[in-house]
Order: sequence, then C-alpha cells, then structure tokens
Amino acid sequence: MSDSKEILTLAVEIGDVLLRNGGEIYRVEDTILHILDAYGLAEYDVYVLSNGIFASANEQKEDACSIVRHVPLGDVHLGRIAAVNQLSREISAGTCSVSNAWERLNACKAIPVQSPFVQEICCGIGCACFCSIFGGGPPDAFFSFVLGFFLQYLRLHQQAHGTSKFLTNIIGSAFLTASSLTLMRLGLPVLHDKIVIGSIVPLLPGIALTTSIRDLFGGDYLSGAIHLLDALLTAMCIALGVGMVMIGYRDLMGGAILP
Amino acid sequence: MILQFVLAMIATASFAVLFCVPKDQFLFSSLTGALGWIGYLIFYGLGCGTVTASLLATFFLTIVSRFFAAIRKNPVTLYLVTSIFTLVPGAGIYYTSYYFIMDDMASFAAKGMETFKIAGAIAVGIIFGFSIPQKVFHWKAR
Repeated sequence: MSDSKEILTLAVEIGDVLLRNGGEIYRVEDTILHILDAYGLAEYDVYVLSNGIFASANEQKEDACSIVRHVPLGDVHLGRIAAVNQLSREISAGTCSVSNAWERLNACKAIPVQSPFVQEICCGIGCACFCSIFGGGPPDAFFSFVLGFFLQYLRLHQQAHGTSKFLTNIIGSAFLTASSLTLMRLGLPVLHDKIVIGSIVPLLPGIALTTSIRDLFGGDYLSGAIHLLDALLTAMCIALGVGMVMIGYRDLMGGAILP
Repeated sequence: MILQFVLAMIATASFAVLFCVPKDQFLFSSLTGALGWIGYLIFYGLGCGTVTASLLATFFLTIVSRFFAAIRKNPVTLYLVTSIFTLVPGAGIYYTSYYFIMDDMASFAAKGMETFKIAGAIAVGIIFGFSIPQKVFHWKAR
C-alpha cells in the first residue's frame, strides 16, 4: 500500500493533465475524486478552478497532506484527454496499480502534437472548407487555404516566442483582412469577405465558449466566468484586428469597401 | 446538400487534427460537425431565423456528441468542441466590425445583436442538450 501523499499527487497530476489540455471542471473534479476513492483514501476534498487545483486528504489522520497546483490556460489536446480518461476508468475499476498508473500517465503526457507542417496544411484545408460552406466559390476557397496555411504558421511562430494570445489574435485577423483586401485590390475575382470569414474560423473562441457554458451549467460559476471572459476578449481582439485594417484601407485608399 | 455535408465533414476533420483528436475518433468527430451544419441548414430552410436555427442545431449537435461519447466511451468534449466551429458566428464578428468602421450604425447594431444572440443561442442549445439525463444515452448505447 503506497502512502497517501503519493496517491494524492497522482490524482492531482491526472487532474492537472485533464485541465491543462482543455477538460471541463466538473470532469476534472470527478476524476480526482474517483481516483482517491479507488485507492482507498478517506476524508478527501478537492476544489478545482479553471487555472488551479486544491486538494487535501486524510485530514484527521497522522499522514494528512494537501496539494495546491497552478495550471495555466493552455492549448487543447483532446488526444491526451481521451487517454487520461481511459486511464482513470481503469483505476476506478481497480485494474491499475499506483506505480503502473504513473507510467501510464507519463505515456499520456508524452502523446505528441502534430508536426507544424501537418498543422498548417490541416488549418488550410479547414479554412478552405469553411469558406465554401459559408458561401465562397472555388477561388475564394483556394485563397482561404493559402491564408489558413500562413495563419497557422504565424500562430505557431508567435506561440514559440511566447507572444500574448490577444496580440496573436489581433495580428492574425489583421493579417487575414489585409491579405484579402490586397487580393481584391489586385483585381482578382474574389469575395473578400467570404475569404476572411472562412479563414478566421481557427481564431474563433469556440472552445472557450463551449467550456464556459459547460462549467456554468455544472455550477462552477467562477471557472465559467473566466472562460466566458476569455471568449469575449478573443472575439473583441478579432474584431479589433479586422477593424484596424479596414480603417487603414478606407483612409489610405479612400472610399468604401464593398461588402 | 451532399456537397455541404462533405465539406463540413472535411472542415471538422481538419480541425480535429489541429486539436489532436485520437485517430480512431476522427470519423465520429467529423460526422458530428457535418450533422450539426446540415441541421442548421435544414432548420434555416424550414424558415427559422439564424438565431433559432443555431439554437436547434446546437441542441441537435450536443445530443449527437453525447450519443457518440456514450457508445465510444470517450469524453463528450472530443466531439462537441471540434464540431461547434461550424456554428460559432465568425461572420457576425466580421460584419459587426465592418459596419462599425463604415459608420453604418443601424446595420452595426443589428449585426452586433444578432452575433450576441447566436452566441447565446449556442449556449442555450448546449445547456438543453446536457439537461437530458445521462441514462437515456446509456440505454441507447446498450
């Protein structure tokens, strides 16, 4: 029987992976509680926020222990969530020892992200498809592909340099708008608004919105509010990026942009 | 309609790659996205406004995600998060800032309100979708 400190650390570490990669609060809390329960700890308590975990166990006993963990808002990696979900399922069923669970957890954490090139290509394809379902024609979809490709390149580049997410969103949407206005200005037969709408999709706060609603619905108002604020600010940054370029275009080139 | 379905599926699938969905779940993620989008088009075609259509489509999409989550024994997030992108009002954000810059305040207010309403509709759709007891899905899964 391992000591309670190790079990608590394991449980919180598993919760950490879930939270960091985009799991919702209710699930993180539930998973930690199930694991503590499965390994026979008593009198535990867990409090999870969207950027932190607080947990304690065996409060009345000799080996009382507690953990505070800061979890920064990170990128979504659903593969890790699925793998950790499977792991916690097995722990709850009692088919996974503590040392085995540590190994499995480290394997889950090591699941790689896609290579930059694959990400750029996929982002491009996604943008092209969104452009055509939102009403763009084949040439618009083609330019959306190109812009989506470079947008993802830009985002990865910014991420590697630790630029703030807000700045990345402003620069990204400004880049898209500027490029599509340039294409229009060059006289190409494109719908500049459809190109932007298609290729702007990767920047949209779809995940933040979804997570925030699910947190609010689960009664975690604070975490829900944090994600909701994130979603609103992201949307405003996108609007700001688009708006700045349009003002520049209107003032430099003169005259209105056709919608 | 079939073309729209296929395109929505490819779009969701490529976003699934970006969010590192496990390979064996690609099909289900992209199917959810495509069904959500087709649902939106159908409800819109039946004469619902954009807001109502978004609400119903999100509701439908949440149910589909929960169903897949139950039969594939995976978190709902896997299917919901990737497929919601077809419904998030990106066009609304774009046109809102466009009308703002163009000093067309009437259109700006209308588009801005519509964007907020769609975001709210998505929220309500997800909440309704999650209000269905879990039991229903486990019964279906069996």
